Amino acid sequence: MNKRLNISSQAELEQLINRYFDGETTVQDEQALRETLADCPWSSDVIDEARFTMGYFAAHRNEQQRVAKKTNHRQIIGIAASIAIILAIGGYALWHQQQSNDVCIAYVNGNVVDDNDKVMALIANDMSKMDNAANAMTHQLSSLGEALELDNE
Amino acid sequence: MKRITIIILTCLLTSIAAMAQNGLNINRLFDGRYKKAAGATEIIVTGAQAREIGLTVYHSLSVTDKSQANLVEALVVKDGAQAVDKEVEYRNGQLYYGFYTMKKSKHDNRYIFYLNQNLARKSPQNIVTLIYMEGLANQDEIKKLIRK
Repeated sequence: MNKRLNISSQAELEQLINRYFDGETTVQDEQALRETLADCPWSSDVIDEARFTMGYFAAHRNEQQRVAKKTNHRQIIGIAASIAIILAIGGYALWHQQQSNDVCIAYVNGNVVDDNDKVMALIANDMSKMDNAANAMTHQLSSLGEALELDNE
Repeated sequence: MKRITIIILTCLLTSIAAMAQNGLNINRLFDGRYKKAAGATEIIVTGAQAREIGLTVYHSLSVTDKSQANLVEALVVKDGAQAVDKEVEYRNGQLYYGFYTMKKSKHDNRYIFYLNQNLARKSPQNIVTLIYMEGLANQDEIKKLIRK
């Protein structure tokens, strides 16, 4: 446990201030000095200067903390805004994808056909043509196979 | 603000890259040019209706214009060279029928059908048809689908 400094007279206080400005004080000394300066009724050039200096530093430190806090708030707001924008873009992309996912349309000679049944009938027609061609090819292959077999007999 | 701009740009670029087409040459034909063209039929089915026939994407194009037909054939042949499996029939030096299994796109299988009815022996017609299909269906299921 650190021993707390007890300042009981103006002379002691001025002595401590001088040590403070000479850089000979400990953290506990400085704490005691700050508290005494804030509470004591004594006044002199040395004490007033110390009050001003330490008060200034305190105010400066408070200002720094305030600025840092403000910067932190700005960063948090910035990050939140970024996340919100990303979510909005992502949501829109997803919605757009969903919308563009459900498509059933045909363009016939420049005319739009958006009746699902008619579009599906057009697809059936396309597939039927492909099937006929595929069958023709299979038939040709099997005929070729049969011809080869006959030839080999 | 600078950081936010960078994040937004990164997201946008990622989205654009994700939405980019699947690298097939036939995609050039599906850029909307035939939607208002006479003598052309373009069909686009995705989502719920596509799922009804076991697909995620059905995109087809039929053209009657000979110069367009040549372009379709050229692009199909180009993609066909990259196919992992194919069934093709040439007639008079021209592609008559083609069924190509392309490399998978993420989870989906991709197929290209091509038919030039000009080269049909029975009642030839001045129509070239291209079908692009995407879905979980395997080759056999696709063949069953066209037989329905």
